[in-house]
Amino acid sequence: MTHAGVGGGTDITVRMMMVQAPAEFGQEFTVVNRTAGSGAQALQYLASKPADGHTLLLVTQTHLLSMLRNRSLPQMSDLIPVARATEDPMLVLVRRDSPLRGPDELMSAGRARSLRFGGTHVGGVDHVAIFAFGRAAGFQQPTLVPFRGGGEIVINLVGGNIDTALVNPAEAEAQLRSGEVRPLMVLSERRLPSLPDVPTGKELGINSTAATVRGYCVLKGTPEDRVARLEQGLIRAMESGVYKDYLRNTGQSPDSVTGRQAWGAQLTSFFEEGREALTALGLLR
Amino acid sequence: MKPSVAPVAGANLNRVAAALAAALAAAAFAGTFFFDEVPPGLPGLGAVEFPRLICIVILALSATLALQEPPRRDPDAHAPDGSALAIWACCLMFIPAMALGGMLGTSAVFLVAAGWLWGERRLPMLIGISLAVVLCLWLVFVKVFRLTLPGGLLFGN
Amino acid sequence: MEAFLGGLAILADPYVMLMVLLGTVLGIFVGALPGISGSTTIALMLPMTITMGPIASICFLGAIYCAANFGGSITAILVNAPGDPSASATALEGFKMAEKGQAGLALGISAIASAIGGIVSVVVLIVAAPALARSAYSFGPPEYFALALFGLSMCAAIGGDSPVKNLIAAAFGLLLATVGMDLTTGVERFAFGITELSDGIGFVPVLIGLFAVGEMLDQAANRHGKAEIVSLEAARVPGRAEMRKCWRSIWLGSGIGTFIGALPALGATTAALIGYNETRRWSKHKEEFGHGSIEGVAGPEAANNAAVGGSMVPTLALGIPGSATTAIILAGLIVQGVRPGPHLFNEQPTLLYAVFASMLAANIFYLVMGLSMARLFARISLIPPAFLWPAVFVLSVIGAYGPNQSMGDVYVMLAAGVVGFLFRRTGFSPAPLIMGLVLGGMVEETLKQSLIIFGDDLSGFLQRPIALVLFAITAAGLGWPLVARLTRVARAA
Repeated sequence: MTHAGVGGGTDITVRMMMVQAPAEFGQEFTVVNRTAGSGAQALQYLASKPADGHTLLLVTQTHLLSMLRNRSLPQMSDLIPVARATEDPMLVLVRRDSPLRGPDELMSAGRARSLRFGGTHVGGVDHVAIFAFGRAAGFQQPTLVPFRGGGEIVINLVGGNIDTALVNPAEAEAQLRSGEVRPLMVLSERRLPSLPDVPTGKELGINSTAATVRGYCVLKGTPEDRVARLEQGLIRAMESGVYKDYLRNTGQSPDSVTGRQAWGAQLTSFFEEGREALTALGLLR
Repeated sequence: MKPSVAPVAGANLNRVAAALAAALAAAAFAGTFFFDEVPPGLPGLGAVEFPRLICIVILALSATLALQEPPRRDPDAHAPDGSALAIWACCLMFIPAMALGGMLGTSAVFLVAAGWLWGERRLPMLIGISLAVVLCLWLVFVKVFRLTLPGGLLFGN
Repeated sequence: MEAFLGGLAILADPYVMLMVLLGTVLGIFVGALPGISGSTTIALMLPMTITMGPIASICFLGAIYCAANFGGSITAILVNAPGDPSASATALEGFKMAEKGQAGLALGISAIASAIGGIVSVVVLIVAAPALARSAYSFGPPEYFALALFGLSMCAAIGGDSPVKNLIAAAFGLLLATVGMDLTTGVERFAFGITELSDGIGFVPVLIGLFAVGEMLDQAANRHGKAEIVSLEAARVPGRAEMRKCWRSIWLGSGIGTFIGALPALGATTAALIGYNETRRWSKHKEEFGHGSIEGVAGPEAANNAAVGGSMVPTLALGIPGSATTAIILAGLIVQGVRPGPHLFNEQPTLLYAVFASMLAANIFYLVMGLSMARLFARISLIPPAFLWPAVFVLSVIGAYGPNQSMGDVYVMLAAGVVGFLFRRTGFSPAPLIMGLVLGGMVEETLKQSLIIFGDDLSGFLQRPIALVLFAITAAGLGWPLVARLTRVARAA
């Protein structure tokens, strides 16, 4: 079982699932971390293993973008989605005393000038999400200020170095509670139970959703009955109390866990969105 | 692991070091011309300015170094003898040998070979200690911390 | 105060106490092993702590974190292989001391300085965490740029036999830091299409190579020349005279470490390096540096353990982790249903003070263990080299491979080993190279971020008072020796 980065959110997702999974499958599980190249090494590792369903990869949007930028890696068509593990919607945040008081000010400011958005590295998941959001809202091309992670983005948002940012609720939890940042909208299909007063982007006429999603895939060629067995087992393992608590405590959507159909469709749509965004940004050759 | 770079009596070490540093910096400077292009429309500095600046600084510094007096010889630093070269060769062979013996198997052989070359002649003791060390490593890294160490054809799979 | 007593009361629970003790022992052990760091251990232990309940689990993880930072210094001193990146500054002087036969002295002062640094930072955490945490918001890219320049400004003075050599080594460190994907342009630099290099040169393999393998290659060539270590001296632990000498560097290191640790973007490794610089700058015995200075062990060790308490400041008070390890501890807290943030100090003070109390206890535990075992550990430096150094090489290979389970890191480690050997033979020092590598990425990244924020206008720095003050301190530090010499010349004339 493989994927990238000891101790990050992605790593912890796997380890939480593994609390229950060995009992479910009657087998030992080990985590193999292959961190290099934004998921590239993890994909290569998966491809080097037999397609017997014994090696699962926790796929995130990062893997998809790496595939797009490096065609020699295993591609979407080489993977079979099995089950989604987490879905973490993104909020559009501004700091407390920002002149962008509400969604209307944000929209007019975004059309009048290029807003400074905090995000991760150029060509990364945040960049694509910001691009898609900006285009759906009719903004001028936003300026990306790249940072090393969600924590730094939040600090610079409060410190006034950037105008706004797309952030997962858990990353800015403390600042949301103390009122140092204000959510203008949530980029998901439905309002969040924890923030019932914050409108969705779609309600405001911005046809864009953005979320951090993670889910399991196996290599193409894995026998169908194994995939079905894995899907069932993983979903049951992720319905355990420990995993449910983990989702609730980290503010992730409680209906995160879903089967391969919905997960596969989501991966495909994000793959297309990423391709469009990277092409428009001049990052694809 | 090039013994030719090891100190040769009489050579001005500063000049040798300066030449090496300058060559590396020049190579890196040339390398910056092979970077992918920066995507259009990004604000701020590009990808090549900072590395190029550093390379130029290194070139200037190595020119200064070449003009300086060489340091006094360290009386404790000896030129490598035959056994030292053999120990270095063992280190170099470690990686290729792992394909055969795996990381732990190679370690056991390496400990005995390098210990022998180092001058220890009590073979049973060498073998005993090497096995004990490898057993400890296996217990700690593989059993307790669950790291998967690379295996080889003969051992460790 | 009431809440603090409540926190202490929780510690009286034998189960919690046992967890702190277990965490401390485990932390020292993994900290000393190159290749398994505190953060890896905490990540591996996290699922097991879920069933422990919030207080016991946090005390356990916190104790591992505190003790691992100390444990790193043990192997750094004895075999020149920093068990944890934050112990690299300790290796600079500590191993030289061990070579002189003062391993026990170095280990003892490391335990004492670490514990004082750790305790100072926890006290600061108790008194001033919310206030200190707010200062994190005033530190944006321009301020970090100024701070990184300050850290680099001393690199000409430390290490090898001439300032030019130190600057060359530092510049190569800066160059190495550019390898991999550039944050602000997404361009891969010096990666040659190798996947392993696209995330940059790993810090751990470079350290292990430069220090441990470089030393091993050198020892192999010097097998017959080395004088026998004076065995009687090796077990001596620090007494009153040593303490008096190190007092100043310990306080300096504690202060620097707490502040730097509290800044979310900087960690214990940076704290230790800057602590080493400043200890040297303010020392009355500058000439001892580079030849096994006891102050040079005390300063960075106090700094890197103070950074542990420091990095808990933003973690607990802002919910923003200050290091890789606190990121995992934060995840552990969240999984237990504890939501860190300013409100934690009002809503769950008992839990918070239990964390503080357990960190204090862990610091005291490892002080006792470190001091009582210093004599024992010091004997490792007496193991015959034919057994010791080949074993160090094997441990280096596993240590480089372990964290990312990547052979690429092993190659980097071997290359760094050759560089380390050549450095030893040509009068260069690894210290400035490491400073360049640690701070280089930050210098470039924060400069580029600042320029994006300022809209490509350098004069934006003029509107950042904190950055200006830091620039001024840097300039003063660089200019002062010059001014001092000029006035001396003028007076003599």
